[in-house]
Amino acid sequence: MMRPLALVERLLQLVPVLFGIALVVFLMMQATPGDPVELMLGDALATPEQREALRRDMGLDRPLPERFLLFLGDALTLDFGQSFHHRRPVADVILERLPATIELTLAAMVIAIAVGVPLGVVAAVRRDGWIDRLATILGLAGVSMPGFWLGILLILLFSVQLGWLPVSGRIGFSGEVPPVTGFLLIDTLLAGRPQSFLEALRHLLLPAVTLGLAMAALLMRVTRTSMLEALRQDYVTFATAKGLPRRQVLIRHALRNALTPTVTVAAIETGTLLGGNMIVETVFGWPGLGRLVVEGIFTRNYPLVQAAVLLYAVTYVLLNLAADILQTVLNPKVRL
Amino acid sequence: MRSRIVAAALAAALPWAGAAAKELRVGYSADIVTLDPANHRSRVTEGAIHNMYDAVLTRTVDMKVVPELAESFRQIDAKTYEMRLRPGVKFHDGSELTVEDIVFTFDRLTKDGAMEGKTSPRKSLVGPVARTVPVDRLTVRFELSAPWPVFPAYLPFNQVVSKAYVEKVGSDGMATRPMGTGPFRFVEWRRGDSVIMERFPDYYGGAADIPPVGPARIDRVIFKIIPEPASRVAALLAGEVDLIDELPHHAIRQVEANPRTKVLKSNGTRSFFIDFNTTRPPFDKVKVRQAANHAVDRKLVIDRILSGLAVPLTTLISPDSFGYNPNLEPWRYDPALARKLLAEAGYPNGVDVTLDVDNPFKEQAEAVAAMLTQVGIRTKVQLWERTALTDLWKDPTRHDRHMFFRSWGDGALDPVGIFVPVLKTKDRGNFSGYANAEVDRLLTAADTEPDQAKRSEYYRKAQAIIREEAPLLFLWLPQDVYGASRKLVDWQPSPRGIVKLHRAALAD
Repeated sequence: MMRPLALVERLLQLVPVLFGIALVVFLMMQATPGDPVELMLGDALATPEQREALRRDMGLDRPLPERFLLFLGDALTLDFGQSFHHRRPVADVILERLPATIELTLAAMVIAIAVGVPLGVVAAVRRDGWIDRLATILGLAGVSMPGFWLGILLILLFSVQLGWLPVSGRIGFSGEVPPVTGFLLIDTLLAGRPQSFLEALRHLLLPAVTLGLAMAALLMRVTRTSMLEALRQDYVTFATAKGLPRRQVLIRHALRNALTPTVTVAAIETGTLLGGNMIVETVFGWPGLGRLVVEGIFTRNYPLVQAAVLLYAVTYVLLNLAADILQTVLNPKVRL
Repeated sequence: MRSRIVAAALAAALPWAGAAAKELRVGYSADIVTLDPANHRSRVTEGAIHNMYDAVLTRTVDMKVVPELAESFRQIDAKTYEMRLRPGVKFHDGSELTVEDIVFTFDRLTKDGAMEGKTSPRKSLVGPVARTVPVDRLTVRFELSAPWPVFPAYLPFNQVVSKAYVEKVGSDGMATRPMGTGPFRFVEWRRGDSVIMERFPDYYGGAADIPPVGPARIDRVIFKIIPEPASRVAALLAGEVDLIDELPHHAIRQVEANPRTKVLKSNGTRSFFIDFNTTRPPFDKVKVRQAANHAVDRKLVIDRILSGLAVPLTTLISPDSFGYNPNLEPWRYDPALARKLLAEAGYPNGVDVTLDVDNPFKEQAEAVAAMLTQVGIRTKVQLWERTALTDLWKDPTRHDRHMFFRSWGDGALDPVGIFVPVLKTKDRGNFSGYANAEVDRLLTAADTEPDQAKRSEYYRKAQAIIREEAPLLFLWLPQDVYGASRKLVDWQPSPRGIVKLHRAALAD
């Protein structure tokens, strides 16, 4: 059951969590060695006054506590300051990159669920059969294979050897698709260009598979375990004894109950996908937020990294909340 | 008949429509942060922007400075330069380039707060320009507040913008919708993904000293960001891109072996060397420093660790640099001589020293350490975090470390950007503690000498002293390596690292 008040309570708990994250990220960025001004200017000719001017421009001449309070105050109004290197508002730079990341994450999630859940069910129902064995091996491989390595293997096979799929990017260069939602799969259809839609899909496939495979493996294992558990329950035996068709027993009685842990894991894993994005986006030249953050860390782009990590944190916490709410829907015994 | 006319009209309107369209794609290693030529400090960003914007002066592939938007350029006195504008140059919007645009461009770069309250981060690349003054319809004067003889060498870093256009679109517009006088005009910027440009048919032709002069020879150029080196190589091999920068060493053989691709290289602008702490034993003695310089087999390290992609250095100046002294004897690898010099310096039984390095250069430093150890300079390598090292070494009199493996980049290839900071007494990059009054005198004289031949002579003399006194262990200058399709012709990488594709062509 879900009480509306409980929801408000949970949302209020967000406040101290976000404050804590903001503080930690801020301090960690400051503690990382390397001066953004020196990194930007390198060995180049610049007078001390010019270096100082740039430091002032970046707001780095103020004392640390003051900078944190400024950052916090501005963040409340969703103003995250200027990105050092883009020299534009951080919020703008992040928003430009966000749709690409969301599109990739959703695609990976869809692949993971579409592959992981049915495979887990079949593996449990046909326990110790060949599908089960194959799924176990694939599951182990999926969880243990590092994303960057898998990505490069897929590129070498499908792009360089076979030439079926593109190496990088989101879409080809045949023409501009007017941005409406920022999601290319939707925008190409809105523009009435099925050809471009297919092209976007081709670009999406390899990165989404790379990103989604580990999650698919995990979902498969969780679903298999909980399905095995459910199949042993008395109500399943009873339903079978009643003479209900096998399919109905499996889906309505066993799977529905077995899905509860799967849903939780899926929601939390979607948060983990955001971290995996940093690697996959770099390998596939995907113009998303993950890559932006990686570059931001290397160039000590404090405002950009701080804002992005806060965004990740909010997403992660909200996904957890969503998992809890889904639990109450799937299992009325669970209360928020 | 009518359909034929329509077809002809179409062909005229779209000269690159159909099979003849030539599109060149560049797989680029780092992101392009803005398209405003005055609002960044990123060489890769400049590399892309420079295809849409030209500068007053440019450089040839062998780094000679020549006029580009200028018809002529001359120095009037130590603090005044004059350019005569090439008449009839058109911006991409059809308007004509005037002296007003030149003045505006340099005011925007040099005046505090000139960019809607902000100051250009490229200000230090213009030097002490105090005023930019129009003289007549085609002449502009640059008045400097102090002599700065490298002014012409730094002009290629700063591209010319349109006054009317900047005033119309503002800084936001400049960042996203560039409009210049370059060989290609802007089509689309997909953030984080690519910049697309097309040929500008009314291009004036580019620098008169760099043939062929004329519009670009390809119809479309795409800079596509592929940060992961393995993916960038894969994109080249799959034919998705025609040119990639930062080709990783391990992929060189693969790219060379492929019948459709080739490897291109040029000397870089970053010199590698080891600072000796000259303020304390044993490296306060010239002979010990000379011994170390003779103990390192540079060619072996270059061949084995750097895949042959570097040139050995005699001092810290690149062979492509202004003022390079070609008459100095390169350091001969001679362990016997090294041992002899070490004994003469008072260390017949050798000496124990430390070599500080940060992680990326560990392998090279260890190879050097092994060679030093062989002649009796028993070297222990210590790994540090880069920034910690820089802080520690800032003042060599205040620590008891011996050697620091590092590098210094100099994009303008003029000793002002490398010789002065690294070896002039107490300058900002002088970590060896080296101090030589004669070297200081020569460098200071060159700083303000308007006569370039005399300036060059000062630097040559200073290099001769450095070669003798060996305040550093001079190592090598790595090359920039590119991978390209064999179809790409008439393009050579330049030490500047700028991928300008004005003259490039694609063979069928």
